[in-house]
Amino acid sequence: MENYMKVIVFTLKGQRFGVDVQQVISIEKIQEITKVPRTSEFIKGVINLRGETIPIVDLKERLEIEQTESSPNNRFLIVQVEDVQVGLIVDSATDVLDINTDAIQPAPKMIGGVQEVFLQGVAKLESELLIMLDLGRVLDLEQTNEIKEIIE
Amino acid sequence: MDTNQYIEVFLDESREHLQSVNDNLLKLEKQPEELTIVSEIFRSAHTLKGMAATMGFEDVASLTHQMENVLDKIRNGELVVTTEVIDVTFSAIEALEEMVESISNGNDGKKDVTELVSKLEKIENGSSTHELHESTPSKTSDTLFEMDEYQSTIISQAAEQGYQVVQITVQLNDDCILKAARAYMVFEKLENKGEIVQTIPSVEEIEEGNFEQDFSLLMVTKETNTDIEKVIHSVSEINQVEVSEFTLEKANNNEKQESKPESVTPDTNTEAPQGKQKQSKTIRVNLERIDNLMNLFEEVVIDRSRLEDLAQKLKEPELTETIENMTRVTEDMQGLMLSMRMVPVEQVFNRFPRMVRGLAKELEKEINLEITGADTELDRTVIDEIGDPLVHLIRNSLDHGVESPAKRRESGKPEEGNVSLRAFHSGNHVFIEIEDDGAGINRDKVEAKAIENGLLSAEHSEVLSDEEIYQLIFSSGFSTADQISDISGRGVGLDVVRSKIESLGGNIIVESEPGKGSKFSIQLPLTLSILSTLLVNVQDEIYAVPLSAIVETMLLDETQIMSVQGQKVIDFRGKVVPIVSLREIFDVPRQDESKEENAVVIIHKGDKMAGLLVDSFIGQKEVVLKSLGNYLRDVFAISGATILGDGQVSLIIDPNALVK
Amino acid sequence: MANILITDDAAFMRMQMKDILTKLGHQVVGEAENGQDAVEKYQELQPELVTMDITMPEMNGVEAVREIKKINPDAKIIMCSAMGQQGMVVEAIQAGAKDFIVKPFTPDRIKESVEKVL
Repeated sequence: MENYMKVIVFTLKGQRFGVDVQQVISIEKIQEITKVPRTSEFIKGVINLRGETIPIVDLKERLEIEQTESSPNNRFLIVQVEDVQVGLIVDSATDVLDINTDAIQPAPKMIGGVQEVFLQGVAKLESELLIMLDLGRVLDLEQTNEIKEIIE
Repeated sequence: MDTNQYIEVFLDESREHLQSVNDNLLKLEKQPEELTIVSEIFRSAHTLKGMAATMGFEDVASLTHQMENVLDKIRNGELVVTTEVIDVTFSAIEALEEMVESISNGNDGKKDVTELVSKLEKIENGSSTHELHESTPSKTSDTLFEMDEYQSTIISQAAEQGYQVVQITVQLNDDCILKAARAYMVFEKLENKGEIVQTIPSVEEIEEGNFEQDFSLLMVTKETNTDIEKVIHSVSEINQVEVSEFTLEKANNNEKQESKPESVTPDTNTEAPQGKQKQSKTIRVNLERIDNLMNLFEEVVIDRSRLEDLAQKLKEPELTETIENMTRVTEDMQGLMLSMRMVPVEQVFNRFPRMVRGLAKELEKEINLEITGADTELDRTVIDEIGDPLVHLIRNSLDHGVESPAKRRESGKPEEGNVSLRAFHSGNHVFIEIEDDGAGINRDKVEAKAIENGLLSAEHSEVLSDEEIYQLIFSSGFSTADQISDISGRGVGLDVVRSKIESLGGNIIVESEPGKGSKFSIQLPLTLSILSTLLVNVQDEIYAVPLSAIVETMLLDETQIMSVQGQKVIDFRGKVVPIVSLREIFDVPRQDESKEENAVVIIHKGDKMAGLLVDSFIGQKEVVLKSLGNYLRDVFAISGATILGDGQVSLIIDPNALVK
Repeated sequence: MANILITDDAAFMRMQMKDILTKLGHQVVGEAENGQDAVEKYQELQPELVTMDITMPEMNGVEAVREIKKINPDAKIIMCSAMGQQGMVVEAIQAGAKDFIVKPFTPDRIKESVEKVL
């Protein structure tokens, strides 16, 4: 029996990435960010999302991918991992795909310029490789806190 | 009658009245002579009784009824307030609370209250012997009037003058309760119809209500029987009226009995003046309804963002303007809705005075409980959960903290121990502290116990500070009491307290000084909280400074800033106050060089002050404090965020971090 | 059918009373939560009938009866009392109250009282 999962597809510097749709709360248009001083560089600040404040992470900075010029297609991908809600800045977010979980394979050391530690695996699709992100790792608070401690 | 629809109101009001009785009893204990307090208590008991009886909760009604009897006697000076009276009343209140809670849990609120009732009855009758208790009802079935000479004369004269003498028997409804008052109304009606010569039972007994359902009277009148019947029937609760002619012969054979008619003297009980009670203009709303409202509101907000998108596309100024206005209004609405969920921590605190009183008695300790900051507001959800942990901590302080009076005397302390319960806001949190001036925590004991329980190795323990050792008491399965006492040793340890508080997103620490006492500090998140702030500009950014921390705002001249050892200071009312630039502290990029930082907000933390240099003041604003979320914890000098009217997020400054 | 003002410090009691009176076909034109309030509302609303609780804050029911009687000597007032308030009830009757009912209320009893008083 084949297992499918729904995946939200977004792009960073031309590369397509996927995250489990269950971790995605919504996709929002870019809006003004209020800076929060003395936090990590990749934390851009907070936004007001329907009355709640949501921290915004620049995903490209977090994954150490080169910056791209901003475009009207840029989006906030609001995700939730355990009890943490964060908005990720992505270049664009368009597709929702059904992926056969069998097609997901362990990731190589480095792919698309992203370190293995952030990856859940790679999904081999008919015409492309979709990099599946491990959001838990991406948002790992331990690492974030370490960085903050250095700053302080 | 279908009473289900009223049950919520009944429960709310009952709880309110029980609380008020509670508070007033404590006051009364301190001022036993103050009869206005008794009246207050009486009034609450009375209202409770009425409500309970209406709802059919008979046990509640009978207990409150007996309470009321005792209170009434006190009010009328027939009984004095003793510790016994207060104790028994407290037990009654406890029982009532139990019953009310049982009702609120969907049960019937039944409880065997006979023991309490009889205790109250004992008090009621104990010091006043003249009180007629449940008296034997007079027999009135054989209505036989017995005449003395004087009465006989009146009757015979009346007959001569064309009056008729009638014998009237009035039967009240079986369910008539205030029989005396009803009888009084009958007498009042009859008074201008003729003269009442005699009654059975005696007027005094009728006044006391000491008759079954009927009473009879003899009257000299010119009215016809039917008229008299009609007049009496105009009074409520009259089941039956019999009017018949009376002749002296009927009474001739009877023995004389002393019974003289007299006008009914009314009971002149007057209530003591009511204490002024603050009447706040509030309505009760079910929490669920507020949540529903919030949910609906979320939908409005989503539509609002759609409209915003549309307006951007259409570029129609009028539409844009309308939507901007709507945005402002909805933001305000949201703030209001959130504030509706906030309740003062008082709701939890107010049950503690009685608890402490009871425990102190049980433990034979003298304890004064001091409560401050009861008006601090917390979200309803937190309020609902925080009660049990606090009960546990207070019990703990009383049991293990405060020493026995003898021991305290030995250590040169006043015999009365002090326990303070405090609530206050600070930064992103509400703090609740429980501090006692007891013996403090014994490090050696805690250490030994921890090692014994395998929580700690002997080597490791040596490197730990006292503070670190103290926190071990929150470890699972830890208990320092040598023997499990009834008060705090109920099979749950402080670890349960800690996990409960952590589940609320808070934490707890303990500080202690041997011989001086201990302080438990609970830090709770301000999930939702309204804060008065001053909004200030730092370059293009807006920060909110809590008003509570602000001493003053002022505009400075460059020349007023001095430098002491590289630290900028100003002279503020003769005090040297350090100045910090928010722009520098927060690394705000300087976009507009022309902006001069010459506005200063003087803030304080205790008696220490600091000046925050900002670009300009925007104004005062009530804001809803929001957490930055789990992702951004412990941001330096920021206690949270708030959403301004224009939807922009503004950060709230934690002044505590900026005053050194 | 009459215009009636209800006085009781317990909202619960007011609700019950209103419910019963309304079902009896009367119109509750106002609710007062203490004696003072009742006197003010009486002046303002000129109801045909007032129901009056006895123990209330600010001004108790008996005092309120006296005040209302000053405004209108013919005012029709029914006292709402609980068990054990005989004295106060009698005082209220002396002050001019037309009738009294005892809590717990029953619709029948209220009906009787209202009919007798009006």
